[in-house]
Amino acid sequence: MLLQASNIKKSYGNKFNRTEVLKGIDLSLGKGEFVSIMGASGSGKTTLLNVLSSIDKVTSGHIYIDGFDFTTLKDKKLADFRKTDLGFIFQEYNLLDTLTIKENIMLPLSIRSMSKKEAEDQFNTISQQLGISELADKYPSQISGGQAQRTSAARAFIHQPKIIFADEPTGALDSKSASDLLKKLQQLNENLNTSVLMVTHDATAASFSNRVVFLKDGLVYTSLTRGDMSQDDYYSEILDTQRVLGGVLDESK
Amino acid sequence: MNLNSLIIKNFSRNLKNYGLYIFALVFSVSLFFSLLTLTLDDKASKEISQSTMMTSLFSVGAFVIVIIIIFFVMYANLIFIKRRHRELALFQLIGMNKSKVFRILLVENFFIYFGSLICGIILGFFISRLLLMILMNIIGVDLLVEMNFSITAALVTAGIFILIFIFLLIQNKYFLHRHQLIDLLKLNKVSEASQKPIGLATGLFGVLGIIMVAVGYFLSTKMFEWAMENPILLPVLMIGILVLTIVGSYLLFKCGIALILNIFRKRKAGHVNVNDVLSTTSIMFKMRSNAFLLTVITVITAISITAMSLSYINYYSTEKMLESTEPYDYTVENKEDLDYYETLLKDHGYDIEKYEKTFMSSHVEMDMESPLPEQEISYPIVSDEEFEGYDLKNNEVYVTGTLAILDFFTNMEEGTAVTFVNDDSYEKTLEITKVYTEGILPSRLTFGMPVLIVDDQIYQELKENEAYEKEHDMPTELFAFNIVDGDNDEILELMDKEENPSFTSKQKSYDEMIQMSGMLMFILGYLGFAFLLTSGCILYFKQIDECENEKGSYRVLRKLGFTNNEILRGLIYKMIISFGIPLIIGLLHSLFAVKSGWFIFGIEMWKPTLIVMLVYTILYSIFSLMSLLYYKRTVNNSL
Repeated sequence: MLLQASNIKKSYGNKFNRTEVLKGIDLSLGKGEFVSIMGASGSGKTTLLNVLSSIDKVTSGHIYIDGFDFTTLKDKKLADFRKTDLGFIFQEYNLLDTLTIKENIMLPLSIRSMSKKEAEDQFNTISQQLGISELADKYPSQISGGQAQRTSAARAFIHQPKIIFADEPTGALDSKSASDLLKKLQQLNENLNTSVLMVTHDATAASFSNRVVFLKDGLVYTSLTRGDMSQDDYYSEILDTQRVLGGVLDESK
Repeated sequence: MNLNSLIIKNFSRNLKNYGLYIFALVFSVSLFFSLLTLTLDDKASKEISQSTMMTSLFSVGAFVIVIIIIFFVMYANLIFIKRRHRELALFQLIGMNKSKVFRILLVENFFIYFGSLICGIILGFFISRLLLMILMNIIGVDLLVEMNFSITAALVTAGIFILIFIFLLIQNKYFLHRHQLIDLLKLNKVSEASQKPIGLATGLFGVLGIIMVAVGYFLSTKMFEWAMENPILLPVLMIGILVLTIVGSYLLFKCGIALILNIFRKRKAGHVNVNDVLSTTSIMFKMRSNAFLLTVITVITAISITAMSLSYINYYSTEKMLESTEPYDYTVENKEDLDYYETLLKDHGYDIEKYEKTFMSSHVEMDMESPLPEQEISYPIVSDEEFEGYDLKNNEVYVTGTLAILDFFTNMEEGTAVTFVNDDSYEKTLEITKVYTEGILPSRLTFGMPVLIVDDQIYQELKENEAYEKEHDMPTELFAFNIVDGDNDEILELMDKEENPSFTSKQKSYDEMIQMSGMLMFILGYLGFAFLLTSGCILYFKQIDECENEKGSYRVLRKLGFTNNEILRGLIYKMIISFGIPLIIGLLHSLFAVKSGWFIFGIEMWKPTLIVMLVYTILYSIFSLMSLLYYKRTVNNSL
């Protein structure tokens, strides 16, 4: 297992007024696996992702990546760890306004001892795959949301991390851009054998992954593996599970 | 919820933002009010502004302060309103029209503004007492610092600030009017760097900027030399130099620095590291407003350092100047007066040491170029027998009492050949072997010329051939005395009476000079300090503004795995560029400015100038440290 989380708990607030968001979650992610996390609003999806990606600290429990427990690491070590092993895609793109698209994408490479030529090749490959090579010299304010999110994806993949964490990557995109992005994600996941962990509330987005984990009230409710199913069948399975899961989604169906 | 409760809610939640603005306002009000109180205070002005020149100096100071404040407050307001652009956009988004938004701003501003006005006046009152104490100390006047609250000063201050308030309203109105809703939503996200590729023109302008500054510097070193030959040139050159350096600085910032940064960025071809992200690319992103701001800061820095250095040179040199122009405690007109004072002072128990010296004047030709017509230079000459402590060989000349300003007329250096001539064919050539700043004859007897000391034998020889100078009726005798146990105010008071013969007193001249130069230094120092605070605050505000805008970037960088320290290192580079470049160029400007004209003000240039520069740099650095701390806090809290 590439990522192994055991009995993760996370709570906020003070001694008197405590909210437990994660109540003991076990989760694992294999090498090259594409896993989605679904659940109603407030079920702890994003908190789980933040904790697994070392941006937030757990209250208790352990998370192993390649057999190494990072929950006990100090801030600086954690930062190094994020730099080398992890990649991120966020709902709100999180590109730096002051940098061009190319500079934004190449940023994670700056801390690596990589020759310029190599870095350039890396950039060309990834930007071609994501279809953004013509945007290299534009600023983030000059491109569309879909393009911005693909830039963000390119940035996440360029240093070939072990795991990509994606928080609602399609949340701000129209359905066409969303499925474009997910197809690219799927391709990159297969070609580079990079694991992807994605939080989403969109069943269509989830249907691109190998496995969907459903959360409810801070616990793993169930999980669904695609196996040999077609994407359409898989999609309806996901919808069915969501319906069973209830919550807000129940009323909307 | 009606408009008023909205305003109140908004106000209380925006208090952190307002802090900056209120600080700027209170600071400006107190600055102005304290200076005004000093000017208007009866007791203080009786003591300090005896001459109309001082009063007008104060008025000019107050006027300059008003100009600074207008600029400063409007800049702070602009940053402040830009910072709230999202909120303003939201108001309009939910259907408020622009005039209603303007009304919200007006009411808010009104309360903040007049609250600050009152605070500022109270603070300014205390500051003015402090200022008065400093002033009295500088000019050496003992006066019990006791000041009344001046209603007039308060009213004038209020009047000026109401005027500024109107300016601010116009500014806010214009801001709202000019920005469409969509602009407000996108403000701060658009790059100000020109999207066009940096062309030949930018490069040329950048180089032109450097050339202009260089030419300005060159002219400044030649200014007085040329002006000696043709006085009309002086104002022309002065204005020319100012225009050249200011425009040159702007071009340098606008094009030169953009060009350098761009080449730097191009060379990286996208391979930026975290330091670049936080320094160069961030500065380039807001290049247009940065260029303007850097120019303003540079010019302000240059002006204030120059003014402070010159006035400090003046103050600093007072004593030395006096050594040169007034070597004796008292100088009187003739032998009878000398005896009169000897008796008078003996009666009161003071011993004096009398000096009765004779000297002559002779026309002298120097072995060098001088812009003045040769014939008119005539120097007082004394014998080494007459004055103690000198013993010269018969081919030597010592020069005493040279002031720096004289270098223009007579560049007397050791090794220069001096030829004494008269109407007849008499000629005698000697060599200067020593030059002293201290004088041996008071300047009213020498008419400000340096005094030449020669061997007694030469002196007698010159005396025999003296013919020419007789017609000129130059003084040839000195009657002076020193008080053996040192001069003091009582002696001066004793002598300084109607019925006594006239005299000049070193002590009295010193007091007058120190008051004059002290006052000048005080006003210029005060203005310089105001300039420093203003430019420091403006840079600080600008940094806070950028910091707030880049908050998201820090979060992204930290999520990507950059540590706090790596980010801070990049920000340190940014601080060095943002604060360092205007400071260094400003210092350079003022160095050339001081160098071009310092000799008018005194006899020592480097020490006072360097002291002023050092103090300025230290105070200025405080603002960069403050900005850095703000950045550090933001970065730490960003994740």
